[in-house]
Amino acid sequence: MKPDAALDTRSLETLIAAAAQGDHACFARVYERTHTHLFGVAVRILGQGQAAEDVLQEAYVSIWKSAGSYRSEVGGQTLQAMTWLIAIVRNKALDAYRARARRKENALPDDGDLHADDVQSTGNPAPSALQLLEQATEALHIEGCMNTLDGSYRQSLALAYYQGLSHSEVAAQMGAPLGSVKAWIRRGLEKLKGCLAAQGVVAS
Amino acid sequence: MRYTGPEVLEHLASAYVLGTLTGGARRRFERLQRDRADVRGLVAQWETRLGQLAVSVPVQQPSEQLWKAISARTRPAARTAEPSASGWLGWLKPAGFSLGGLAAGVIAASVLFVTAPGIFVSSDQIAMRSGERLPQSYVGLLTDAQGNGKLLVSSLRHGKTMTIKVIGPITPPASGRLVLWAVPATGAAFVLGTVPTSGSAVSVLPDTSEKLLSKVSKLVVTLETDASPAAPGATVVFSGNCAKLW
Repeated sequence: MKPDAALDTRSLETLIAAAAQGDHACFARVYERTHTHLFGVAVRILGQGQAAEDVLQEAYVSIWKSAGSYRSEVGGQTLQAMTWLIAIVRNKALDAYRARARRKENALPDDGDLHADDVQSTGNPAPSALQLLEQATEALHIEGCMNTLDGSYRQSLALAYYQGLSHSEVAAQMGAPLGSVKAWIRRGLEKLKGCLAAQGVVAS
Repeated sequence: MRYTGPEVLEHLASAYVLGTLTGGARRRFERLQRDRADVRGLVAQWETRLGQLAVSVPVQQPSEQLWKAISARTRPAARTAEPSASGWLGWLKPAGFSLGGLAAGVIAASVLFVTAPGIFVSSDQIAMRSGERLPQSYVGLLTDAQGNGKLLVSSLRHGKTMTIKVIGPITPPASGRLVLWAVPATGAAFVLGTVPTSGSAVSVLPDTSEKLLSKVSKLVVTLETDASPAAPGATVVFSGNCAKLW
């Protein structure tokens, strides 16, 4: 990081707007400010390794190319720059994860948990998806609201969000019927929407 | 599936952002987003909600090589070369594009500016500016040998990206790719980007348009089979003028 980077008080939105005009130094600042968090998001879904770095590389190249398409308001909804960046990285990580799952499915039909090997490869037990959801709801002051949901609802939502698992993968991991998992996740999303609305984060 | 019900759209938007909407349904919903602002708004709402959950994700440090790789891909070196005496020069001569043809291009472009300024605002960068006048830009209108409009090229004067928008049907080449070249009055032609066969594409320029294009009056598109052509090939597909919009 350049010495003056820490003193740069320009907002992420301002830096992205400058990057959209071709200012590569501002794009570098966007990277400096966001890459560890965004890499964390990719690693949660893809595990440590080259795949997560590849996704992050593709994501930042995409961000550079499409910086001009960032809007701070979409359909009347304020969209923070960090939210936009997280969505780009998650979408690319999900695509990579699904593609890898398809490859493994073809190569190793009996392979069980597609994700466990990657998570374990870090050698450093990461917090579980449910733990991350609990930490997030606590930080957002909605833990009381969310905890009125049954644990399986929260668990299924956490696995889908933090690990990028599909309905059937969540069902397999939890040993629950697919139909139940779909209903739990849908109910969990509705609850999250209501809890956040009560905190003023996006009206219901 | 019909996408008319608000509850259905809400559910699809939440599943899309969460990632549980997969396969063909995911692709169809992405197309729906492109067509409908209300759907984009719903997705933005769910991105905001679910994005909040990322607050607890532990930060991770990627390798130092990552930024080098990203930087290399986002700061491409300028490609310049000596012009060859091959067919592309002939394209600019009277046979294909006489002065009359060039003048017609300018007139056509001017008419477009007056009657359909929205076309030029299609560039994301230009759309960001909402003043009464169009921002200072370099623009180009390229046509085929029959004078049919095929491409609009635009770049902010001090920007480093260029948007190439397809405005007329283009038959994808059986092999190779279509490459857009800037042809300065003097000096070597240089690559501006790869031409899409539909929609639009954004190319990252090695420098600002002002520095690259201030002495460029002609643009040509050639069919190239070489991955990094040093000079325009003989097969010229489209041609036109590069104009300053200020």
